[in-house]
Amino acid sequence: MVHALEEIRRLLKPTGMLIDIHPVAVSSPVEIHQGGKIDRVGQLSIRQWCVDYQQADNALTEIAQRGLFAVERARQFDSLTHYPSVAEMRTSLLEAIDKFARDVQSAGEGAPQVEALAARADELMQGTVSGVELIVRERTQISRLRPT
Amino acid sequence: MAITVDPENSETGALFDMADLRGLHVLEIGCGDGRLTWRYADKAAHVTAIDPAAKQIALAREHMTDLFQDRIEFRDIVILSWSLC
Repeated sequence: MVHALEEIRRLLKPTGMLIDIHPVAVSSPVEIHQGGKIDRVGQLSIRQWCVDYQQADNALTEIAQRGLFAVERARQFDSLTHYPSVAEMRTSLLEAIDKFARDVQSAGEGAPQVEALAARADELMQGTVSGVELIVRERTQISRLRPT
Repeated sequence: MAITVDPENSETGALFDMADLRGLHVLEIGCGDGRLTWRYADKAAHVTAIDPAAKQIALAREHMTDLFQDRIEFRDIVILSWSLC
């Protein structure tokens, strides 16, 4: 990651900028939205067992410390993924684990969590009518860096 | 109904708040299937969007519209000399 950032620094024009966007939350709330009411299904710890975003945080800190880039601005926002059904959420998250799991152990920890969330969501959505949305809320950081 | 990522456009809102992309040449690293690329590319002069997942790049290319043919270039990251991890 640091090597990639060094390459980016080399390629960037002096007036160029680097925009970094990555999830920051350790866990993401899973919610059911219906008519302005929000029910919490649970927390998804995708960051822990999927992609190692800590590595991205560390790399950004390192390049700033080494004076390659300076952080001009940073802010956070929520990025929401809307799932049309519990089944589609389950399938999509299990596919994400297959694709991005750091290792077999991480994948082994992730899958039961997804199954538990899907079961809980199913339970909460029993008897609901249309207009229900199943949402995963991911806290995300965006930073603007300039070469120094 | 399909799975929708960020229909609220929070990500593009944050991006446009951070940077005025008008007339800029953008290198997007980790573009996936181009989900975010489509949302800002009309602002940029040119976008080179790369990702290590060949399947995702193929999807992005499949969804390329005439409007973006000359503006966006999707590439597999393996042709480049760095990795992200």
